Formats: sequence, C-alpha cells, structure tokens
Amino acid sequence: MTDVSLIARNLFRKKLRAALMIVSIMTAFLIFGVLVAFEHAFNAGEDLAAADRLMVVNKINFTQPLPYAYYERVKAVEGVRQVSHANWFGGYYQEPKNFLIVLAVEPESYLKIYDRELDVPDDARRAFLSERTGALVGEALAQDKGWKVGDRLPVSSTIYSQKNGGHVWEMTVVGIAKPAKPHIDSNFIVFHYDYFNETRSFGKDMIGWLVLTTTSPAVNDKVAKTVDAMFANSTAETATDTEKAFNKAFAAQFGNIALIVKLVVGAAFVTILMIVGNTMAMAVRERVREIAVLKTLGFPPARILRLILGESLLLALLGGLPGIGLAALAVAALREKLLNFIPGMVMTPDIAVLAVVLMLGLGLVTGIIPAFSAMRLNIASALGRS
Amino acid sequence: MRSLLLQIAATIKINLKSLPQRFWLSLSTVVAVGLVVVVLLSFLAMANGFRQAVKGSGSEDIAIVLRGGSRSELNSTISRDQIRLIEEAPGVARNAEGKPLVSAELYLVVDGLKRATGTKANLPLRGIGPMGAALRKSITLAQGRMFEPGSNEIVVGKGLLAEYRGFELGSTVKFGTTRWTVVGVFEAGGSVFESEIWADLPVVQSLFNRTNFFQTVRARLTGPQAIAALKRYNDEDPRLKLDVKTENEYFADQSSNTTDLIQKLGWPLAIAMAFGALAGALNTMYSSVAARTVEIATLRAIGFGAFPAFVGTLVESLVLSALGGVLGAGATFVFFHGLTASTLGESFTQVVFSFTLTPALALQGIVLALVVGLVGGLFPAIRAARLPIVAGLQG
Repeated sequence: MTDVSLIARNLFRKKLRAALMIVSIMTAFLIFGVLVAFEHAFNAGEDLAAADRLMVVNKINFTQPLPYAYYERVKAVEGVRQVSHANWFGGYYQEPKNFLIVLAVEPESYLKIYDRELDVPDDARRAFLSERTGALVGEALAQDKGWKVGDRLPVSSTIYSQKNGGHVWEMTVVGIAKPAKPHIDSNFIVFHYDYFNETRSFGKDMIGWLVLTTTSPAVNDKVAKTVDAMFANSTAETATDTEKAFNKAFAAQFGNIALIVKLVVGAAFVTILMIVGNTMAMAVRERVREIAVLKTLGFPPARILRLILGESLLLALLGGLPGIGLAALAVAALREKLLNFIPGMVMTPDIAVLAVVLMLGLGLVTGIIPAFSAMRLNIASALGRS
Repeated sequence: MRSLLLQIAATIKINLKSLPQRFWLSLSTVVAVGLVVVVLLSFLAMANGFRQAVKGSGSEDIAIVLRGGSRSELNSTISRDQIRLIEEAPGVARNAEGKPLVSAELYLVVDGLKRATGTKANLPLRGIGPMGAALRKSITLAQGRMFEPGSNEIVVGKGLLAEYRGFELGSTVKFGTTRWTVVGVFEAGGSVFESEIWADLPVVQSLFNRTNFFQTVRARLTGPQAIAALKRYNDEDPRLKLDVKTENEYFADQSSNTTDLIQKLGWPLAIAMAFGALAGALNTMYSSVAARTVEIATLRAIGFGAFPAFVGTLVESLVLSALGGVLGAGATFVFFHGLTASTLGESFTQVVFSFTLTPALALQGIVLALVVGLVGGLFPAIRAARLPIVAGLQG
C-alpha cells in the first residue's frame, strides 16, 4: 500500500464524516470564489484604468457640467495626446425602470481614446462617424436586449428634454462594440454629442467631463496641474485626476465593499477552520493505537507527519476544488443578472490560484497539530491506552 | 405516558451533561452557527437601517412633483410656469395669509470628503425657499440658526456633519469658487434630510449658474386624500404632465432598490454558510451519538424506549444551535447595531444611515439557527434511536 492510498483510506474510513467535511469546505470556497469575483468586478474600473488616461471634471462635483470650450483648450496643453468628452444622458428604454447607460460623446476622439478597451469593426466605426443619429451599442447590452445593427431605438432621458418638449431621442444602431477583455463593461450606448446638443432644451454647449490621454504616464501630474491652473478662478474650475483615482473614489462611494467581502469570507473560513481542525484532531485521537503500531513497525516520524498532513491537505483539496468550480458556475450564472449593477463579473485564474493557496493553507493549519502529536506519540503509552 | 416523559427528561439531562466531554467539537458548532447568524443579521440590519432612513423621510401629506419619467430629484427639471400652476392646484394647503405652502427647490451635487477614508463623495446641496423647512416633518436646529435669505450661508444635516469633514458650525466651505459659511446644524429624525446641505434657493441658482432653474416642487396637501385631486389636476392639464407622488411613495421607491439588493446579498450568503455549519452540526451530533453508544445501549437495555434516545440527541443539537443563534444575534447587536455608514442612494448622493437590528430581525436569525440545529440533529437522533442494543453494549 502506497502512502497516497493509505492517506485516502484513512480519510474515508468514516465516509459520512469525510463527506460532511467536504461539503463544509466546499461551501466556504463557493462563498470565497463568488464574493472575490464580485469584489474584483466591482473594483474593475480601478484595475483596468489606463495609466495614461486622465479625467477632467468640474471641481464642485463630476455631475456639474463644463463649458464645451474647455475641449479645444485642453487639446492645446503640452503633453496631451488625445482628448474627448462625454455627457451623461440618463437614458432609459420605454419605461424609466429600464435604465440604460447612455453617453453623448464626440465619436471620433472617443473611439480613439478607448481603442484598447473596445473592439469596433471598421465598417461600424465608419457608419458611427458618418451617421448623425447613429448609436454604438456595447455587446453585453445588445445581447441582453436583442438589438441588432439597423434597429431604430427610441431612447428616453430622465434628465433632458427635446426642444419640442419630448423626452425621446431616436437613434439607429450602427454597430456593436465588443469588449477587448472579459472584465470590460460593454453595457452602454454612445451617440453623437452634436445631435444631442442641437436638440436639447437646456444645457446647450455644456459637456459632462473630458477624458484625455497623455503622451506618457510620467507627465500625468504636470498635465493635470496645467489643466486645473488654466481654469482656476473661472466659473467652472476643474479637478483633473487619473482615471484610476477617479474610478477608485467613485467605487468607494458605495461603501467599503472590500471590507464587507473580507469579513464574510473571514467568517466562512473561521467556521471551517474550527470544524475541520477539531475533526482532524478527533480522527487522530481515535487512531492513536494504530499510529503506535505503525511506529512499532518502523515508520519514521517524518512519514507519520506526512500521512496526517497529507490527509488534511487531501481533505482541503477535495472540498476546495469542487467549491471553486461551483463558484465559477455561480459567477457565470450571476453575470447576466448583475449586468446593470456590476458588469463583467468573471472567475479569473488569479482567484482560482489564490483559492488553491488557501486550500493548501487550510490543509496545513488543520493538520499540523494532530500531525505533530501523532509524530511525537509515545508508543508504549499509546499502546497502553484502551 | 408519565414514564415516557421521565425517560425523555432523563435522556435530555444526560445528553446535556455530557456536552463538556465534547467541548471543542460542540463549541465549533456553536461558533459556526453563530457566525451564520452574524452574517445574516448584519446584512439585514444594514438593509433595515437604510430603509428606515430613506422610507422614514417622507410624509403622506406632502406631495412631491418631478418631471415625467425622472424618478429622482437630481434628474428632474420644472419650469416657473409649472410651479405657478401647482401653487394654484386643488388640494394644496395655504397658510394664514392665504399663501400656498409650496416649495420649489434645486438639488445639486457637491463634493465632500468622507471622514473615514478621506475620499470624495457626492453630497446633496438643496436650494430651498422660505417654506422649505416647514414642509419637512420634525426639523429642529441642533446648533446655530437658519440661513439668512440672500446670503452665502448653509445649514447642514447632523448625519452629514458626522460623516464628512469640514462642515462644523462656523466653518467656511468652498464649492468651486463660491464660499459658504455653515451657520446651523439641523436634525431631521434620522431621515435622508440629515445627509443634506441646505441654502437659500435664489443664492444657489445664481452662484451655480442655474438662474430660473427649478428641479422639484414640494407642496403641503390639505390632507392625505388630497393627493388624488392634485394628480387629477396634473393629468388633465397638458402644460403639466408631471410625476406627482406623495413624499411617502417617493421615498418608498427610493429605498426599495438598495434595500432589496442588500437583502438579496445577505440571505444567499447566510444560507450558503448555513450549509457549511449544517455539515459541522451533523458531524458533531454523529460524533456525540458515537461517543455515547454504550450509554445509549445501556439505557435501552434497562428499559428506556427508542423515542427518548431520539429526543435527547435532537434536543442537544437544538440547544447548541439555539446557543449559537442567541450568541450570533448578541454579537451582531454589540458590534453592528448603531454603526453609522453611508452609501450612494437613488438620488446619486450619499445617504447616511445606521445599522438597525430589531427583535423581529434577530428572531429571523435565531429561526435560521434552529433550522440548522433541527436538520443537524434529526439524522443523528434517528441513528441514536435505531442503535442495536446488543452490539452497542459491546462498544
């Protein structure tokens, strides 16, 4: 009998107990996998932000507008490679509860700036640039609503009104923008700022924010300072920050999600540490005489240690691996449902690797004390026990 | 019958007295169940606290008027003509001088720094007219005075002052290039208004380049039933076509999404954790039955029935889980109840609320704990009842 089969036999000598331990470890890793994927998706804006991209917003708050003229002025700042601008439209489809993320943008520069994130086919790009009422729809949203190129969309705004008093803007889907990486959000519509600006009843020639890329991340600070200094003491002062810092601050507004995830995952792990640790200790106590017999047969202490630790590690992996597998399935199922709230929820290899590390850690922690006590066992007194 | 009850009482006593022999394993069950309850109750207390803050903000005799389809105050725009029409509407109350109790307001978002993290957060700045404060229930000034009309003065809610930096009484706050002095701090019974900054409407309009721009109208109704008349008036006039709701309805809508979301996160997490704890409870109880095999067989041999053996084990499990449930509820109360937090509400601004654990919520947690104890004790109890006596006596 090899050590591996001996370990497996030991673990499954009480099948029900082993199965219960496996279920309990599995649920902990299921919770871990789903929550960490959730947190990653929640903070994806920060992780995916391009190092050379800056956001210029109104210093009062990013919901306050900026004059359109800033677009041209920022373009001329040294160290700025490209600039674009966007305006939150407050979109919905038919009913206000069918909330849509819709931005009115300057098409050409916007696509250039998000070139690395969005995969837009050449014909769609050309159609978007030339069609005044054309809209580019993100893949996730297009799939969710079943929208195709050529569809006419009446998109309403919770904020703006047309000059004729209506709240609906007619748009035509001219292309589908695919996300370049799985984490990237593609639950949006972008359409022409010019079309929006000429038809709306108020806020004319104002824009929501500017987004720019610098010639190199090294000049970020200098560019930010120059831009903010340029508009200091004007009626619309600006606050320029990296996209990363902006996204991080925005995510933080919802609350400390990372802390909540840590606390819940912590609670789940404390539970299994206690349950599995106690059970391993109990399993070894039950087998004291057997271990003494193994020692009598000449098993070296290190091998005894390996057998017990092997058992707790095997248990952790048998529970943890299916647990993280289940988490991957759960994340895939939740992805669609959470599209509007946190797009781009995926089980990444990083999470899986971290999970395996935690499984090994769990196996070691729950096995180490029983393993040492087994290794140090005094043969004579152990055999003397009944 | 009496002997059965005595037998049951005896087995329960034996089971509970033998608990210290399995101290660590039993403790792990108690802690596991307790943690499940803490996770569930902290989410429920968070959802409840948020709901109480938002939902509790509205009055049923105040109407709120928004642009059609706007859903939140931040998005809405209302013209001066429309305000005039609402002032003349049926169902709107008037004061002693015959002036309608109506407040046209502006709702803007400004940045504030969160004390805990130092990060920027969206805070609501509300421009209100002379009727504004009177159209909210239970507004009291805790410090200072109300702003003077026509001046750059603001009053801030107590919750906002507690969570965000730089709004202490007497301090100067900068929004863009404009400077404002904090002249008062108000309380509003823990409602969302306590997370707001108020200033004089015309001053806000002029300093934020929003001259002649209004976003919402609040009107005191002659009574809760008057909302129907106001709604009918609004629907019949093509110049209006606005969304008219009671403040109660409006805030109920505003709280439902976030509250639902927190509850929808809390319950599945707690149920998943309950499965883990259940596995632990089953393991503990099977170990308990195994450890007491000789004892149970002995009791059976001297004439105890199978049913008392069953009940003894089941009660042991229920006692452990109830203990876990009570400890979990207690820990939630000690560590989370009253904790102040803030999140981005439906109006795209921060809502300050405090975790509120109620007895009804605590009961939900204890019921979940007892379900774990019941299922976790049932199967081991069946095993205890079916234990073969002769084999059992041999150990």
